[in-house]
Amino acid sequence: MASYIVHRIIQGIMVLLAVSFICFLLFRYTGDPVLMLAGKYATQQEREQVRIAYGLDRPFYVQYASFLGNALRGNFGKSYVSQVDALDSILERFPATFELALTAIIFSFTVGVGLGILVSLKPNGALSRIIMAGSLGGISIPTFLMGILWVMLFAVYLEWLPPFGRGDTVQIGPWRSGFFTLDGLKHLIMPALTLSGYQLAVLLRLTRAGMREVLSEEYIKTAWAKGLSPFKVIIKHALRNVLIPVVTIAGLSFGELIAFSIVTESIFQWPGMGNLLLTSIFETDQPIIVTYIMLAAFIILFINIMVDLLYAFLNPRIRYD
Amino acid sequence: MKHRLLTLLSMIILMVLPALCFAKADLTIAVDSPPKTMNPHGYNSDANLSYMSNFFDGLLQRAPKDGKLMPALATEWERIDELTWKFILRQGVKFHNGNDFNAADVKFTFERMKDPEYSKFLNIANSIASIETPDDFTIIFKTVKPIPWFAETMHQNFIVDKESSEGRESGDYNTRAIGTGAYKFVEWAKGSYIKLEANADYWEGAPFFKNVEIKPITEDATRFAAIAARQADLLSGVPIPMIDRISKTPTIEVVSRAARRCIYMDIGNKEGTPFADLRVRKAIAMAINEDEIVKTIMRGQATPTAQVPDIATIGYEPSLKRLPFDPEAAKALLKDAGYPEGFPITIAGPNDRYINDKQICEAVAKYLAKIGLKVTLDVKPKSIFFDELASNKHMFYLIGWMDGSYDFGRSAEMLLHTVDPEKGMGTYNGAMYSDPTLDKMIIDSASILDRAERGKALQAINKKSVEDLAWIPLHYQQDIYAIQKGSGLNFIPRPDRWIVLKEITKK
Repeated sequence: MASYIVHRIIQGIMVLLAVSFICFLLFRYTGDPVLMLAGKYATQQEREQVRIAYGLDRPFYVQYASFLGNALRGNFGKSYVSQVDALDSILERFPATFELALTAIIFSFTVGVGLGILVSLKPNGALSRIIMAGSLGGISIPTFLMGILWVMLFAVYLEWLPPFGRGDTVQIGPWRSGFFTLDGLKHLIMPALTLSGYQLAVLLRLTRAGMREVLSEEYIKTAWAKGLSPFKVIIKHALRNVLIPVVTIAGLSFGELIAFSIVTESIFQWPGMGNLLLTSIFETDQPIIVTYIMLAAFIILFINIMVDLLYAFLNPRIRYD
Repeated sequence: MKHRLLTLLSMIILMVLPALCFAKADLTIAVDSPPKTMNPHGYNSDANLSYMSNFFDGLLQRAPKDGKLMPALATEWERIDELTWKFILRQGVKFHNGNDFNAADVKFTFERMKDPEYSKFLNIANSIASIETPDDFTIIFKTVKPIPWFAETMHQNFIVDKESSEGRESGDYNTRAIGTGAYKFVEWAKGSYIKLEANADYWEGAPFFKNVEIKPITEDATRFAAIAARQADLLSGVPIPMIDRISKTPTIEVVSRAARRCIYMDIGNKEGTPFADLRVRKAIAMAINEDEIVKTIMRGQATPTAQVPDIATIGYEPSLKRLPFDPEAAKALLKDAGYPEGFPITIAGPNDRYINDKQICEAVAKYLAKIGLKVTLDVKPKSIFFDELASNKHMFYLIGWMDGSYDFGRSAEMLLHTVDPEKGMGTYNGAMYSDPTLDKMIIDSASILDRAERGKALQAINKKSVEDLAWIPLHYQQDIYAIQKGSGLNFIPRPDRWIVLKEITKK
C-alpha cells in the first residue's frame, strides 16, 4: 500500500512538471505581456526597460528554470496586473469556488442517486420516463444556457432569487463564507443548481444502470424471498454495491467542479477562482494563469489519489500491491 | 464533546454577528469592468482610473460635462517656458489617514511613477527631468522635452501619501487605497464588490451619498439581469444586443452619450504598395458604408465621424466632413490608380477589444470585396493582435483610440508621426504611415506656448491627416447607462466614462 502511494505521488509530480512546461510553452504564443505592463502610452524604449525589469528578455529555458526554482519555494510570482502574489490572489478566491462546488456535488449526489433509485424501481412508469428524458437534457444542454435560463426565470421574471454575486458573506479567519447568512444561501442556489446539472444527470443514469443490473441478481431475489423490508433490500443490499462506481465518479467530478466551474462563475459573477482565471486570460496575466493551472492539476491529482484509496476501502476485494 | 460543539457554535455566531451589522449601501452601481488594483498608478485604463478617481485626487480634474480642465489639489498652474510647469497646491487638504497633503507628496508620487514595479504611467513620469519644491505648496516640473499636454494629464496622475506609502509592502499598497478623494476605501471583495464611504472632510465638501457599493459584472446577460431585477440603481455598460429590451422596460431609463473613443481603420502608405497612392486610400474610404455599420451592427449606438479626436479634445476640427459612400466612384479611383482588377488586401483587427469589433471588420471586408479587392480577414484576440501591431505586421487594421490627455498632440505623436523608436515617436503607428511634412508640423506644435495658437496648429495636423487619408475614421462609440426610474438619481454621464461618485446626487 505504502509503495503504491509513493508511486502515485512520484507520478503526480511528473504530471505537474509536464503541465507547467506546457503552460510555459503555450504562453510564448499568447501575446506579449510587456505591452500591458508598460502602459498605454509607453514608447518602444520604455517597453524594453520594462521587459528587462521583469526578466522577460531572458531566454525561455532560463525563465522556466527560475519559475520552477521559485515555485519549489512556494513563490509563484506576482500578478502582472495587480502586482499581488499570484498564489495568494487565487487562494483568496478558493472559498467561493469550494463552497459552490461542495453544494453542487452534494445536491447532484443526493438528488441524482435518489432519482436513480426511483427510476430503477419502476423503469417503465410515466414519471421515470419524464425523469430520464430530463436527464438527457441535463447532459446535453450547455451550462451557460441553463444558467441564463435560470436567471431569466427566477431572477428577472419571478424575482425570487438574486441574479448574481455571492451576497452577504462572513469572514472566518482566512475563509470568507456565504454559508452563514440567509442572503448568502439565496445567492448560492442558482449557481449551484447550474453547476450540478451535468453531474446530476450522469450520476442518475449511472445509479439507474447499476441498480437495474443488481436488482436482477440472485442475492436480491433471495433477500426479497426472505421477506426483508423494501428499505433493507434496496438501500442496504442493492445500493451498497451500486455505490462503488457512483462514488468514484462523484469524487472525480468534484475535482473538476472546483477546477472548471469557470462558465458558471462567469454567468453568475461568482467571485471564485474560475472567474479570476477568465479575467486573467483576457489580461494576459501569465503568473495567475500558470499558477491556476498548476493548482487545478494539483487538486485533480490529489482527489484522484484519494478516490483510488477510498475505492480500496469501499471494496475490500481491491488491493494495490 | 457536546460542550465543545456548543462553544464552537457560539464562537461562530459571535464572529458572524458583527458582519451582519454593516451599513446598507445608499447607492449601488453595477459596472462592466472590475478594478484591477488599488494602486492608482498600477493600471492605465479608464475603467480602473474611474475607481481611483473616487479615492484619490489629481493636481487637476475634469469638469463632468465637457471635460474642461479645472483645479483640484492644485489651485493654479502655468507653463512658464517650453520645459517648465508650475503648480500652486491647495492648502489644508488631508489624506484619509490624517496625514497632511503637501508638495513632498506630489514629488514622491511622480518619482514613484517612474518605477516599473509600481507604475504603468512610465511615459509621463519619464518625461519629467526634475521636480523642485521651493516651498510646501509650490511645485515646479522640468520636462526632458517640450510636453505641451503635460498639464492635460494631471487629472489622471493621482497623488499618494508619501509618509505612509513608503513603508507599505506592495501587497497592501495594491489592495487598499489611501488618498485625499471624496470617498474613503472600506472593503474590496475581489470579484464581488467595492465598498466606499463618504469622506466628510473632503475639500470640496462631503459628497451626497454616504455608503456606496460598486459591483463589477463582466458577463453581458448578467449585467442585464442585475438592472432588470433591480439589484443596482445605476448600470454602466449596457450591453448593445440588449439595448432594445432594456429601453422597453418601463422602470428603467436609458441614458447615452457619444464616447470619446473613436474607432478607425488605420492604413499605411509604404512605397511600392498600392496604399502609397492617395487614390487607393480614398477608394477604400469611399467603399465603406459607415451609415449601414452604425445602423445594423451598432444598432444606432454610435456616431459616424470624419476625425479621430472627439469634440472635447484640443485639436478637434469642426469643419471636417466624411467622404461620401460611393462604391462606383471608388471603383473609378482604383482604375485611375492602375488597379482595375483590384489587389489583395488583408484586414486585421482585434475581436475582443471594442464593441462589435469583429463584426465591423467583417463588414469592411464585404464592402472592399464589392469594389473588387481580394480580401483576407485576419481577426484575432487583442493580446495577440496588439503584439503584432507593435511589430508593424499589419498595413490595414481596425483599432480604437481615446487619449486620456484630451490633447491631440500626444495622439499625433503616437499614431501619425513616422515610426521612430529612438525618439519615442509613432509607437502606435502600426501601419507605418509616414509623411515628413506631417512629422514637422507635429514636432513644431509641441513648442507653441500659447494654448489657443497650439490648438490651431493641432487642428491643422488633424485636417491634413484626414485629407491625406492617414487613417479612415469610422465612428465614436456610445456609452450607455441604465438608471432605475424610482431611484431619483441625478446622474450626468462623463465624456471619459468615469463614474465620479461625488457628482451623483438625488433629486
